[in-house]
Amino acid sequence: MSPVVVLLLVAGLSEAAGRVLPLAARRPGAPRGYVAGLLLLGAFVDGAVFALWPLTAWTLAELVAADPPPGTGLAWTPGLAAPLALSAVLAFPLLGPLFHLLLLIGVGAGLAEPLAAAAGIGWWTAAGCVALAGVGLGAAVEAVRRLVMAISAIGAPRPAA
Amino acid sequence: MNDLLFWIGGLGLALIAEALLARHELLAYGAGWRASATKLPEGVPYARGADPDRPPDAYLVYLDGIGKFRFRDSRDGGRLVRALLDRAPELRVLGQVQPYSPLAEPLAGRPVWAWVRRRVGLPLFLHNVMQTFVAADHRYRPLYSRAVGSQIAAQLRLAGHRPGSGVPVVLLSYSGGAQVAIGAVGELDARLHAPLLLITLGGFHNGTGDLGRAQHLYRLTSARDRIERVGTWIFPQRWPLYRGSGWNRARRAGKITVHRLDPATHVGPRGYISPKTRLPDGRTHLDRTADTVVALIRARYSTSTATDPLP
Repeated sequence: MSPVVVLLLVAGLSEAAGRVLPLAARRPGAPRGYVAGLLLLGAFVDGAVFALWPLTAWTLAELVAADPPPGTGLAWTPGLAAPLALSAVLAFPLLGPLFHLLLLIGVGAGLAEPLAAAAGIGWWTAAGCVALAGVGLGAAVEAVRRLVMAISAIGAPRPAA
Repeated sequence: MNDLLFWIGGLGLALIAEALLARHELLAYGAGWRASATKLPEGVPYARGADPDRPPDAYLVYLDGIGKFRFRDSRDGGRLVRALLDRAPELRVLGQVQPYSPLAEPLAGRPVWAWVRRRVGLPLFLHNVMQTFVAADHRYRPLYSRAVGSQIAAQLRLAGHRPGSGVPVVLLSYSGGAQVAIGAVGELDARLHAPLLLITLGGFHNGTGDLGRAQHLYRLTSARDRIERVGTWIFPQRWPLYRGSGWNRARRAGKITVHRLDPATHVGPRGYISPKTRLPDGRTHLDRTADTVVALIRARYSTSTATDPLP
């Protein structure tokens, strides 16, 4: 298994931990197995979303580039993906969402430079493609997450008063 | 430069680890993996002050600042509680509540913290700072408030308070204890069915919490209290623009009264609870703070002692 795949799995687990821990705090009475299951499922989903980020940004860059080169010129490198292992910072009390946003902006800025070089577009255009891809993927996975939560909430025991 | 990065990175990792540890306790409580402790160590009373054989004028629960590590003492060595007991024998005072532990376990007795402290030198108060953050975070706040509210209600019951008896309960909170006290109002109202009064001393809180269920909140503050002021800056719910926040609704309803304790600072030798610095009238800061708290309580609830004018 390549270091990038391992890093993306760790990043997915980290992101899932950042999302599941506050959720578990809002659903008192959740058994450990249920929390662990959510964590593992989230790790694969979030890892896949991270993996798709450069690919989606490249697809957008192809649409805006005047003469796009063939193939995918943007991929994760260990250096670019490593900061994502800190995604669990999202669960940090009070300041977590802000730290998480800053982390993703930093990683996105790191992706913009190789994308600009590979696609032959300006840095700001590349940054726009990375941002749009990130927001789109984030919104899609969030919609799925909310749907799963809504479905799993049906019939779930109400927290004790 | 490398050393600087090393220290920043190390501190960042320590903070993340600390944040995870701090929140894990809440999860353990919420998920029912561990039960909240109610029993106190031998020799620690459930309350001090008024005779337990008859109802006191009020129960006073002291929620300490981030220096609270044990059942008994606090960063000031328990001086404020002692001063209140000396001045107001008609009150029953509880000083053992752990505002920074949903499981009601003092930090100092935990083996893992003793280990961390010995090896890393991580200051213990960092844990309590993080718990204040947890208590203020909208994702964790309801559960945290319920946990500490339950803890306070359990300790009051063990100290002799009977729900529905009508004996008032006063929550005196210092610094970050205010976040916990205000959060616990809803739970306490539901469990105690008793008049609730809040007194914050340099209160650091985010302006949420249902103060509509408390009778009143007295805010003891000072122009030199920078830490309390930071709280009013960083939490939008404290800004006047945020009209719907619990804090602003209570303010408009006339439920908040401010008392100035100038020129006291938040902590240190010139702090609110300093027994060293004296005022022009000869009293120490500690004397004045204790006098003010007692006068505010007597003005509302006294049945046995002549009401003193507010100092």
